Amino acid sequence: MNLEFNPDQLALLDAVERIASAHDARSVLGANHFEYSTSLQTDLDAAGIFEAAAVEELGAVAAVAMIHRLAMLPQCVELVAAALVLPLLAPDLARPCAVFWGRRDGPARWSPGARTALCVRGDIVETAMLTDADVANLDSPFGYPVGRLIEPDALSWRRLDLDAAELRRLWRLGVAIELTGCLGAALHAVVAHVRDRRQFGRPLGAFQAVQHRLAAAAVQVEAGRWLALQAAHSGCDADAACALAHAQECTPAITYDLHQFMGAMGLTLEHPLHRWTTRAKMLRADMGGAHAQQLVLAAAVWGLEVTA
Amino acid sequence: MNFEWTTEQRALRDRVRTLLARELPPDWEHISRHGPGSPAQTAFSLDFCPKLAAEGLLVPHWPVSHGGRGAPAWEHFILGEELFAAGEPRGPQYMNVNFIGATLMKYGTPQQQARYLPGMAAGRAVWCQGFSEPSAGSDLASLATRAIQREDEYLINGSKVWTSYAGMAQTCFLLARTGAGKGGIAIFLVPMDTPGITVRAIPSLIGHGDIHEVFFDDVVVPATARLGAEGQAWAIIGYALSLERVGLARYAFSRRVLDRMVCELQARGRFVDTHVRTQAAQALAACEAARLLVYRVVDERARGLPPSAVSNVARVAVVKADHAVSDFALAYFGDALSGDGWPLVQAHHERAIAAGIASGAAEIQLNLVAQAWLQLPREPLPERT
Repeated sequence: MNLEFNPDQLALLDAVERIASAHDARSVLGANHFEYSTSLQTDLDAAGIFEAAAVEELGAVAAVAMIHRLAMLPQCVELVAAALVLPLLAPDLARPCAVFWGRRDGPARWSPGARTALCVRGDIVETAMLTDADVANLDSPFGYPVGRLIEPDALSWRRLDLDAAELRRLWRLGVAIELTGCLGAALHAVVAHVRDRRQFGRPLGAFQAVQHRLAAAAVQVEAGRWLALQAAHSGCDADAACALAHAQECTPAITYDLHQFMGAMGLTLEHPLHRWTTRAKMLRADMGGAHAQQLVLAAAVWGLEVTA
Repeated sequence: MNFEWTTEQRALRDRVRTLLARELPPDWEHISRHGPGSPAQTAFSLDFCPKLAAEGLLVPHWPVSHGGRGAPAWEHFILGEELFAAGEPRGPQYMNVNFIGATLMKYGTPQQQARYLPGMAAGRAVWCQGFSEPSAGSDLASLATRAIQREDEYLINGSKVWTSYAGMAQTCFLLARTGAGKGGIAIFLVPMDTPGITVRAIPSLIGHGDIHEVFFDDVVVPATARLGAEGQAWAIIGYALSLERVGLARYAFSRRVLDRMVCELQARGRFVDTHVRTQAAQALAACEAARLLVYRVVDERARGLPPSAVSNVARVAVVKADHAVSDFALAYFGDALSGDGWPLVQAHHERAIAAGIASGAAEIQLNLVAQAWLQLPREPLPERT
């Protein structure tokens, strides 16, 4: 048991931090629900860091830590497929990649602009190449580009010889840490706000009623990070389901509290809080939501097969 | 980053489990029904801990000079995790090995160390903490028990309350006021058979004979009973509590109880119900969250880093895990909590009631997380009157 990153992982995370903080510092956000940053995407691609999961010295632990940091940016890029699924299972597929669960014709985040679609139905994993013309953008309250395939059955799908269960595990892991990163960033934003914002003659953050709820959120977020890191290290489906179950279960109360403490400022598109909370609200329902992960976890630990 | 145990660490777990299988009697669940502070479990600890000591498993982390062998932090922690999962057969003596002993090693005089450490290392010492008072609970610094120095002795008057283990303790780790404010507090190591000390058990929701009132009426102790200097107490307490909060493996007991309840539900055919399964998984996730956050604390200690607010974060998670499992028990094993029901679940139920209160209220932990972890400003305190 040693919970310190190894030197290679630290070097990678330093590189990620340099890119992330540079983009964080110069972000100019429009009055939009999400800001897909092509320049961030370009910098991350140029640094080659999305390959980390497949590098022995770095592994899924480094990929998870990387997703966590990047999810904390107000801008967004596709992370779960890019940093976990593709490098470990399908390195030849083009990014960005949108994943359709259960059906080809459902909405999927990151499908606008995607160059590859993956569709997972039971044990079958198929892929198709995409162009912008294949996808219709959907108006969405969530902080991601969301779209739907216009004529899914007209695309050239080919079946991949790929373990669907392993794909599900990696997806659970990736969503768990992306969701945790979003909650962590939203928490930071609100903590900064309540330190500065004075009401009744003192900072909002000096009221215990506020402190306790933020502290409770911080405990959940920190737990989420370590559950995901453990799941990354173990490669075990139960751990991934546990990490995602935890993150999804605690999301509603945390996003509620954070918006309460931000007040009307948090209702505006100008303030970045929504960039993390609306992402969190979408990720909360991914893979069937906390209930589904809990069933997977229960089956993995105590037996009885269930289908996710 | 590595979440795996070494071969030596796995071997240690196996060794402890083998010892527990051998030494815990068939009626252990009944003995431990009312927790580490109950007379039954305390009495058991006085038989069990010497056996642990003989195996080199009571204070392996202590230095050789005090009867240990300088074992690494993780080894001490694994031992505590296994023993707590089993219901803590060390009884109140876990306090000695976790923090009272180390505090005496750091702040005690050679005479104090010679007097008290051998008994702890041999598994024969029961201590209690004279901290809380009727008017000083979470606000410990407002304590009023007074120690007045008269030449080479102190005269102590006052009372302590909610004191665990006092009924069978040989020695009290006592906080008393010698002056004003936090700087006016001193610590005394007081034999409980000193004339003028009266102990009264308080009937409670937790345990039988676990918590007490302790009265000090003109109790005279020599000045050599003082630990550290007058005014140093707050620093010593901070040190002791930082050790107390390392490796609080309550989640291990919760997880064991949860697994046993699931096993029973499976036997009854009730675990096919998806609602039951999701609730069990929710409790399991809470135990896992607590386990990993506690590991963070131990990892900090193992790497020689200074104590941080992560110990407060972990304590909050540990309380949540206890409550998650306790809620599950109430939902599905409410019948087992009455009469001669299921002692294991009854024991967990009682301990969970106190989980967020004993060793400092969970709300105080939340304050510390807010202030030390999130750097939020402290809520202004009212003027003391």
